[in-house]
Amino acid sequence: MVALMRRLAPGLLAGCAAVGLVACGSSSSSSSGKSSIKVAAGIVTPSTESLTGGKKGGTLTVLNHEDFEHIDPGSSYFAIDYEAVYATQRPLYSYQPNTFSTVTPDMAESAPEISADKKEITVHIRHGVHFSPPVNREVTSADVAYALDRGMNPNVANPYFLGYFESIEGAKKATGGPIPGITTPDKYTIKFKLTEPQAPIVVAALVLPVSAAVPEEYAKKYDAKKPSEYGNYQVATGPYMFKADSSGKVLGVGYQPAKSATLVRNPNWNPSTDHRPAYLDQINIQIGGDTNVIGRQVLEGSGLVQNDTPANSIVKLAYEHYRPQLEISPGAGDHYVAVNNSHGVFTNVNLRKAFWAELDREAMDKARGGALVTNVMTHFLYPEIPGFEEAGGLEGPKLDYNEHPQGDQAVAEKYMKLAGFSTGKYTGSKTVQIVGSTGAPAPEDAEITNQALKNLGFHTHLNLVDQATMYQKYCGNVAEEIDVCPSVGWIADFGDPQATLDVPFNGKLIITNGTNSNWGQVNHPKINKAMEEASKIVGVSARATAWAKIDRELVEEAVAVPYDWDKQPSIESKNVAGVGDLWNIGSWDYSYTSLK
Amino acid sequence: MSRYIVRRFLWGILLLIVVSALMFVLFRVLPTGDPAALRAGREASHKLLLEIRHDLGLDKSLLTQFWQYMKEVFFHFNLGYSYYSSAPVKDLIKERLPASISLVAGGAFIWLVSGVAVGIVSAVRRRTLLDRASMGTALVLVSAPEYWLGLIVLYLFAADIGKVRIFPGAGTYVGLTSDPWKWFTSLLLPWLVVAASNAAIYARLMRGSLIDVMGEDYIRTARAKGLSERRVILRHGVRAAINPIVTIFGLDIGVLLGSAILVETVFNVPGIGRLNYDAITHADFPIVQGTVLAAALFIVVANILVDIAYAYLDPRVRYS
Amino acid sequence: MSAPAGEPATVGAAPNGREPLLRVEDLRVEFPTEDGVVHAVDGITYQVFPGGTLGIVGESGSGKTVSSLTTMGLTRRQGANISGRILFEGQDLVPLSDHDLRSIRGNEIAMVFQDPLSSLHPFYKVGTQLVEAVRAHRDVPRRQALGRAVELLGMVGIPDPGRRVHDYPHEFSGGMRQRAMIAMALANEPKLLIADEPTTALDVTVQAQILALMERLQSELGMAIVIITHDLGVVAEMADDIAVMYAGRIVETTSAERLFAAPQHPYTWGLLKSIPSLEGSRDQELVPIPGSPPSLIARPSGCHFHPRCAYAQPEHARVDPRLEPVSAGSNHHVACLLSSEEREGLWASLQRGSTPSAAVAEVGLDEQAGSPEGHA
Repeated sequence: MVALMRRLAPGLLAGCAAVGLVACGSSSSSSSGKSSIKVAAGIVTPSTESLTGGKKGGTLTVLNHEDFEHIDPGSSYFAIDYEAVYATQRPLYSYQPNTFSTVTPDMAESAPEISADKKEITVHIRHGVHFSPPVNREVTSADVAYALDRGMNPNVANPYFLGYFESIEGAKKATGGPIPGITTPDKYTIKFKLTEPQAPIVVAALVLPVSAAVPEEYAKKYDAKKPSEYGNYQVATGPYMFKADSSGKVLGVGYQPAKSATLVRNPNWNPSTDHRPAYLDQINIQIGGDTNVIGRQVLEGSGLVQNDTPANSIVKLAYEHYRPQLEISPGAGDHYVAVNNSHGVFTNVNLRKAFWAELDREAMDKARGGALVTNVMTHFLYPEIPGFEEAGGLEGPKLDYNEHPQGDQAVAEKYMKLAGFSTGKYTGSKTVQIVGSTGAPAPEDAEITNQALKNLGFHTHLNLVDQATMYQKYCGNVAEEIDVCPSVGWIADFGDPQATLDVPFNGKLIITNGTNSNWGQVNHPKINKAMEEASKIVGVSARATAWAKIDRELVEEAVAVPYDWDKQPSIESKNVAGVGDLWNIGSWDYSYTSLK
Repeated sequence: MSRYIVRRFLWGILLLIVVSALMFVLFRVLPTGDPAALRAGREASHKLLLEIRHDLGLDKSLLTQFWQYMKEVFFHFNLGYSYYSSAPVKDLIKERLPASISLVAGGAFIWLVSGVAVGIVSAVRRRTLLDRASMGTALVLVSAPEYWLGLIVLYLFAADIGKVRIFPGAGTYVGLTSDPWKWFTSLLLPWLVVAASNAAIYARLMRGSLIDVMGEDYIRTARAKGLSERRVILRHGVRAAINPIVTIFGLDIGVLLGSAILVETVFNVPGIGRLNYDAITHADFPIVQGTVLAAALFIVVANILVDIAYAYLDPRVRYS
Repeated sequence: MSAPAGEPATVGAAPNGREPLLRVEDLRVEFPTEDGVVHAVDGITYQVFPGGTLGIVGESGSGKTVSSLTTMGLTRRQGANISGRILFEGQDLVPLSDHDLRSIRGNEIAMVFQDPLSSLHPFYKVGTQLVEAVRAHRDVPRRQALGRAVELLGMVGIPDPGRRVHDYPHEFSGGMRQRAMIAMALANEPKLLIADEPTTALDVTVQAQILALMERLQSELGMAIVIITHDLGVVAEMADDIAVMYAGRIVETTSAERLFAAPQHPYTWGLLKSIPSLEGSRDQELVPIPGSPPSLIARPSGCHFHPRCAYAQPEHARVDPRLEPVSAGSNHHVACLLSSEEREGLWASLQRGSTPSAAVAEVGLDEQAGSPEGHA
C-alpha cells in the first residue's frame, strides 16, 4: 500500500499559505472542507470524528510495525514521527485533526501579521508555556528563533527548511548559527525579514515541527554532535513528553530505537494554552512485529491502535468484521506516472495525451487495494487540499483522454495520429526507459504502464529498483533522462495547493545537482510563470482558485499521467475512541484520541 | 590445542575484518539509498547533502573511512552511531543481545532434545509406523516456512488473537531479569517455531547418523560383550552418532543469533536479526555494519566452540 | 530344495567320552530381503569339545561368520530366521530369550573380530571398554574392574598395562588393538572363544604373534576355540578339527591332520593350493579357486560348487551331494559326487604338480563340457 510512500513522500514547498490562518485560539472544531471523497458506508473518516467529550485517563498502546525515523522536531518528517512530535512539541501553528486547510495558532498566540510588501512577518507567542523537565522555564521567542536556526544546522539535517524559508534574510548562508532575518524584539515576539515577497509560504510552513521551540542553552551541546543528539535529550512543550531520566535523557528511557517508546504527561503543560484536549495519561508505543499479527491484536484486543499502514489482509478483515474500528482517511497523497517533458519522445504533448488515454488507471488502483483505499486520480490537486473542488473534484476535467480510466484505445489512436503517427502506433526508433520500484504494488504499476506503452507501439526497457534508489539515482537524477517513472507519489507538507503542485511541476525548481523531485522535468514557461504569480496570492479561496487554474493547465499539457488518490486506512481497538489526523494521512492523534 | 585455538581466533579476527570490508564496499557499490540523501529528505539541496556527507564522514575516501571504522571497532570497541537515532550501535546491540540469546538458546534446547530423541527412536524403530510418522512430520516441518508457522501458532494459541487462548502472544517479551516467569511464557511459542524446523532437521540427521553408526563393528563388539540393547544404543551408538549433530548445532546457533529475523518479527521479539533488517531498510549503515559484524562474530565464536567441543568429544581429533 | 540330511559330522572325537561344549545341529539361518531369501547357513552340524579347537574355513560369503554370530545371538535383530539347535553345555540357545542369551554372551562365549580398529569404540579408552566388558557380567566396583582390565592387558602381552589402559584405541598399534580385543573377550574367562578372522587385518609377523598368544591363552585358561578363517594356513597349527564351508554348508570336515594329508573335496584342494607355503618352492604357482562364491539367494543347482569345479560331471548339476563319511565309520566327511577313487587320483595328480585339466585326463574323467567359469 502506501507505507513506503509515507516514509519518503512528504514533499515540500509551498508558497503562501498564509491564508488558512484565520482562526485563532478557538479549539472548537471548525468544519473541515467539503469532504467530497466517498468512503464506504459505515467507515469513520477523520472529518467525522468528534474532537470533544473524550474520557480522561488511561494508557493507549500503539503497535507500530515501523520505527520512528527522527524524533527530533528539527528533523522529523515522517507520519508516525509527526504523531509523537505533535503530541510533545508545539510549533507556532498546527492543524486540528479534522482539517488540512484551517490552521490553529499553537505556540503562537494569534495569526501572524504580514506586512503589505509581504516581506515582513510578526508572530506573537503565548505566555505561560513551559518546557518540560529538566529545563522547566517559560518558552520565549528566542527558543523559537533557535529552533528555526537549527533548521540550517547540518547536524540536524532538516529536510525542508530551505524549500520554504529560503527567502528569510541570511537563511541560505546559515549553518546553525543565528539567521540574521529572524529577530526577537521581546520575549514574546518573533520577526521574520524576507528578501522576497514570500511571506505567504513562510507563514504556511510554520505548521511544520521545525518551528517548535528548543532551549538553546540546553540543546547547544547536543546540537554540536555530528549528528545532533538533541532528539535523544529533547524537552517538550506539548501535553506529553518522551519519558526521560532526571537529566533529560530520552534514549534508553523513553525511546529504545526499533523497540519501544513511552510518552508520559508533561508536568509543565498548561491546558489553557493549548487546543489539544490530551485525554490520555500515557502512550506506550511498541515498535516492530508483523503487520498481520499486530493488525489482529489491535482488532481483537483493547486499548490498542496501529499507527502505521495495516496489512492489506487486515484492512479487508476490518472492513468485513470490525467496520467501526476502521478509519479511512482521504487526502493521503497521490500516485502518478511521471513522463519526461524535457527529454525524449514525451516532449511531444500529443504522445503524452495518447499515453494518458491508453493507460488502464483502474487496474493500477485495483493493484493498490481498490476503491476502499483509492480513487482514480483525474487531476493533480488532491482531496482535502484547497482548490481540489475548483479543479474539478473527483470527476476531473472533462477531456477525452481523461474520461475513461480503464483506457480508451480510440482516443489514444487519435492523439498518436495528431503526433504524426498515421497508423496510430509509434513507429520511431527510440526506446522508452522505464524505472519502477520493487515493493508491492509498484511492480504492477510498472507492468501496466509498460503494457500501455507497448500497445502504443513503443519499444520499452523496464528497470525495477528499490524505492530509495528509484528516487535518488534514477527518477530524481536529471542526467539519467529516464522517460517514464510509473510509481512516484506526493504528499503535501501542509494543506496548501502550492505545497502540492509547485515542487513536482515547477520547471524553475528542477534540481540538477541534487535530488530532484520534478521527476517529469515538467518545465512549461507559461505554467512556471502562473505558479510564480499564484505563490504571491494571499487568502485560501483566492489561492484555491489560482492553483486550480494551474492544475487545469497541467492536465491540458498532460504533464504526467495521474492514477491514484490515496485513502489511508487506520485501525483501532473496540474501546478506543480514535481521532485521526486528516492533515497527517489519517494517523491517530495521541492528543485527541481517548479510551471509551 | 591452545595454539590451535589462538590461531583460529586470529583467523576469526581476520574474517571479521574481511566481512567489514565487504560490507563497506557492498554498501557503496550496490545501487542502494545514499544515507545522506535518506537523512536529508527528498528535496535535499546539494549543499545540505555535502554537509551531511561531511558530518557523517562519507566524503572521505573509502579507505580512510574504513580505517577509521576499524580503528574505532578494534581499539575503542566503538561501532559508531545510528544515522537516525544517533544511538550508539554498541548499546543497541547490547540491549538486544539478551532477547536474541533467549530466543535462540531456548529454541535450540528444544530442537536439540526433541530432534535427537525423535531421531534415536526413529533409528531404533526403523521402518516401523512410528518411524515413518516421525519422518513424515519432520518433512512437513522442514518445509514449513517459519513465518507461516509463526502466524499459525499465534492464530491458534496466542492469548490475544488465538482460537485457544493459552500462551502469551506476539509482543509480550520481557527480559529474563525483569520477570523470569513472563520471560519464559512469552517465549514458549517463539521457541516452538524456532525449534520446529530445526528439530525436524536434527531428527532426520540423528536418525541417519545413528543408523550408520549402528552398523559399525564396534556396535557389534558392544553387543558381543552382552550389554543391554539400551546401553548399546545410548552409550555406544548415540555417543558416536551425536558428533556431526554437535558440529552443526554450534554453527546453527551462531548463525541464528544474528538472523532470526522472521521469528523475531512475527513474535515481535526485539533481537539482533530484526535490528539488522530494519537498519537495512533505512540504509542505517552503522547499524547494518555493527549487526553484521556481531553476527559474524557469533559464527566465528561458534566455530571455535565447536572445534573445542569436537576435540573433547572425539579423542582421535588432535589439533596441533 | 532339500537339505543334505546331516548325518552329523562328528568333529572332534569325544576325548574320554566327554560331552561336547558346543553342539550345533542342522543350523539354518535365512535372511528375508527384498530380492529374496538369503540362505546364509543351510543346515550345518558341528561340535566343539572343552579345550578343543575347531577351525571353520571358507571364502567370504560361505556362511562361516553368520553361523558363529548366530551362536552369539547376534543375527537375531537383523531379522534372521533361525532353525536347528545350538546346544551350549546341553542348553539350546536358539529359543533362549534375549535377556538369558545376553548373560551367556560375552561371559561364557566370547568373540574376537576381524578388524580390531573398527571393532573398538573410537571414543572410549581401552580401559573403559574393558571395564564395561567385566561389569556387564560381574557386579564389581569400577576400581576393581579397572584392576582386572590392567591384568587382562598384561595377560595379552601389552607392555606397561597400567598406563596403556588409559589410552584410546587409536593410540594402539594394530597388533596391540587385537590383543586388547582378545583381552576384552577373555574378561570373564569364557568357556568358548569364537575368533572370526582374528589375524586377517594384521601384518604377517603380527599374525603369528596373535595366533601364538591365542594358543598360549587356550592352554592357560583351558577354553575351547572356534577359529573362523578363509586361510587354511591359520588353522593348520592350531585346530584340532576343521570344517570347510561353501555356500552355507559344510562340504568337508575331519581332523586337521587328515584334512591336510588327504583332502577330499575339490574346494578344499583349491583352498590348500591358495596357501603360500613357506617351505614350498617360491616358483610354485598358487592355484586360486576360479570364479566367485555363488549368490546365496539363487544358488546353483545340484552341487553348489559345480560351476567352479574343474572336475564336475554333467550330472553334478542335478544331484545335490550329501555330507557322508569318506569310508564307512570314518570321521572324515565330504559332500562330493566324485567317487573316492577319482578324488584320490585327482589329488595325487595335483600333488605332483599337474594342472587340473591334466589331472582330469590322467584320471580319465570326462572333460566337462564347459570348463569352470573363469577358468582360463
